[in-house]
This record gives sequence, structure tokens and C-alpha cells, in this order.
Amino acid sequence: MNLQAASSPSRAWLTGMSEAVPLLGGYVPVAISFGLIATQAGFSAWEAVAISTLIYAGASQFLFVGMVAAGAPLWLVVAMTLLINLRHVVYAPNLAPWLTPSRLWPWLMHGLTDQIFALAHARLPQLPAAQRLGWYTGAALLAWLSWIGGTALGALVGGELVARWAMMGEILPFALPALFLVLVAPRFTSRRWSLALSLTILSALLLTLLGLTNVAIPLAAVCGALCFQLVKFGHTAERKDAQGVRHE
Amino acid sequence: MSNALWIAVLASAAGTLLIRLLPLLWMQRRLARQENDDSLEAMPQWLSLLGPLMIAALFGVSLMPVTPDAVSWLATAIGVLATLAVCWYKRTLGWPVAAGVAAYGAVMMLLG
Repeated sequence: MNLQAASSPSRAWLTGMSEAVPLLGGYVPVAISFGLIATQAGFSAWEAVAISTLIYAGASQFLFVGMVAAGAPLWLVVAMTLLINLRHVVYAPNLAPWLTPSRLWPWLMHGLTDQIFALAHARLPQLPAAQRLGWYTGAALLAWLSWIGGTALGALVGGELVARWAMMGEILPFALPALFLVLVAPRFTSRRWSLALSLTILSALLLTLLGLTNVAIPLAAVCGALCFQLVKFGHTAERKDAQGVRHE
Repeated sequence: MSNALWIAVLASAAGTLLIRLLPLLWMQRRLARQENDDSLEAMPQWLSLLGPLMIAALFGVSLMPVTPDAVSWLATAIGVLATLAVCWYKRTLGWPVAAGVAAYGAVMMLLG
């Protein structure tokens, strides 16, 4: 992690944007796919862009257009979309201790995706309080705009892009696991944490392989939390770990 | 899009925003209360546990290649090792990610 703090609010914006650049490798190809699939499902380009702008939640958007195209009742479409996004409830409380007093924060939660949460959870505690709002705004805004831009691109010229740059569509998304790995690696601080994190990673991968991608994230995290609570390696380590949890 | 479909988009958007926003307001109130009451823990332990574990779960889910086959799994393993190696030497965010993508891409181009 780059521990160098940004020195001014405008610099904090730029730092946030530059640190969110690795997200683009994952966002843009997926957004292009969404734009393409949405238009194939009968939505116009600007309707696809409106969905990406307003809902802004990857997996649930694919589900939304898929269910609408299949003729599912709209109340069920909305319910399923929200159900998939329900995992986001634990994100903001984990960031709250580092958020500075500002009326902008609640509105900025629109940009709190999985990836921005992972990035902010690692970086906000390292930044001086005065820089956090700027950093988060820069990072979240770049991610949001890349998602919207990618959707527009996919809706307008997605077919041609996929045909010409098929390999790039396979390679660039690896930026996401690489980024998550960089963010999660410093958490392997004790045997107890290592075991809980390893179990979470493996169970998430296994659930994804079984086709249960939508429930994989919350379910795997719950598995890891249960493991953390049940497995203890001696009294001292246990006390140290418990203190670590409280301070994170 | 029909009016009903627009309402469904707006309802999904508003619901998603509330899912992200309401827990923040709850936590901010809890933190404010905790300033006046030392006996109250700032954040429930289960909640602070879930933060890092959700990131680990995101990593696990994202490991699945776009087209899963032997070559892409090998590329994933090499990409992970390259990311870790650069992460070990350079404590930045960008370089390990770039190295991981480059290693993954190299294996895919050579063997794919």
C-alpha cells in the first residue's frame, strides 16, 4: 500500500483517482459486456446507460435486464436486484469510523461498490482526516464514470469490440483479483486471521465454481467469521486478535 | 422503456442506495452515542470481522477466470504469484496489480 498521504484536497482527489485506476481493468470490460447484453435484450443505448448510472451495481444489473427480457414480473425483478445487493449493508459501517463530518458522505454512498469498499477499507485509515473526502470522491467518481462509459461503449459498438479485442476482455479483468489480493494480503497477521481468510477465499471460489456466484460473497464471509470465532490458538494470540478486530 | 419499467429501474436504484446509505447513518449514530457512553462498543465485533472477510470473499469470487480452462487456471496461479511477489518488494497498489495482469496476460498469450 502506498503510505504517502496526499498533501492537499485537490491532490487527494487525484490520489484517489490514480489509486482507482487498477479497478478500470475489471470495470470497463464488464461494463462493455453489460451494454452489449442490455441492447441485445431490447434496451436502447441510453436506457442501458441510465441503468448503469442509477443502479450502479454490476451483477444485479445483469440480472435486471435478463429478468426483464425473460418477462418476469417487475416486482420480482426489483426484489431480486435488491437481494443481490444486500451484501452491501456491511460496507458503510466498516468505513464509518474514518469518515469525516460532511453532508456529502451519505450521497457518496451511491459509489460504494464492492471494489470501492475494498479500496477504501484499506486506504482511508492511512489518510489524514482532511484528505479522506477528496480521496474517496476521486476514487468513487472515476469508478462510476468508467462504468457508465464502458456501458455506453458496449451498447454502441460492443459487438465489434468483443470481436476485435476478445483476448483483452479475458486478460484485463484479472486486475480485480490482483487488486483484492493486494488489499487482503496485509490482513494475514496471525494464524487465526490466516485460517479465517483462507477459508473465506476457498469457500468463495468453491461456491463460484458451483454456480452460486450471487451468494458466494456473503456466505463465504460468514464461513470465515464462524471459523474466526470457533478456532482459537492459545490465550495470548486470542486476546491479541480480538484487540486487532476492535481496532480495525 | 415503459413507465412501469422506469419505475422498476428507479425503485432498484433507490433501494440499492438505501442499502448502502442507511447502515452508514445507523453506525454514525452509534459512534456519536459511544462518545457519551464508554460502555458501548464502537462497532459490534461481528461487523468489524466481516469487513476484511468480505474483501477476502471478493478475492475468491474474482479468481474465477472469464473462460475457465487449464490455461486460464495456470495463468491465474502465475498471476497471483506475480502479484504477491511484487507486493512483497513494493508496498504500492499499482505495481503489484500491473505485474499480476502482465503475468496473467503473458501466460494467456503464450499458451492460450
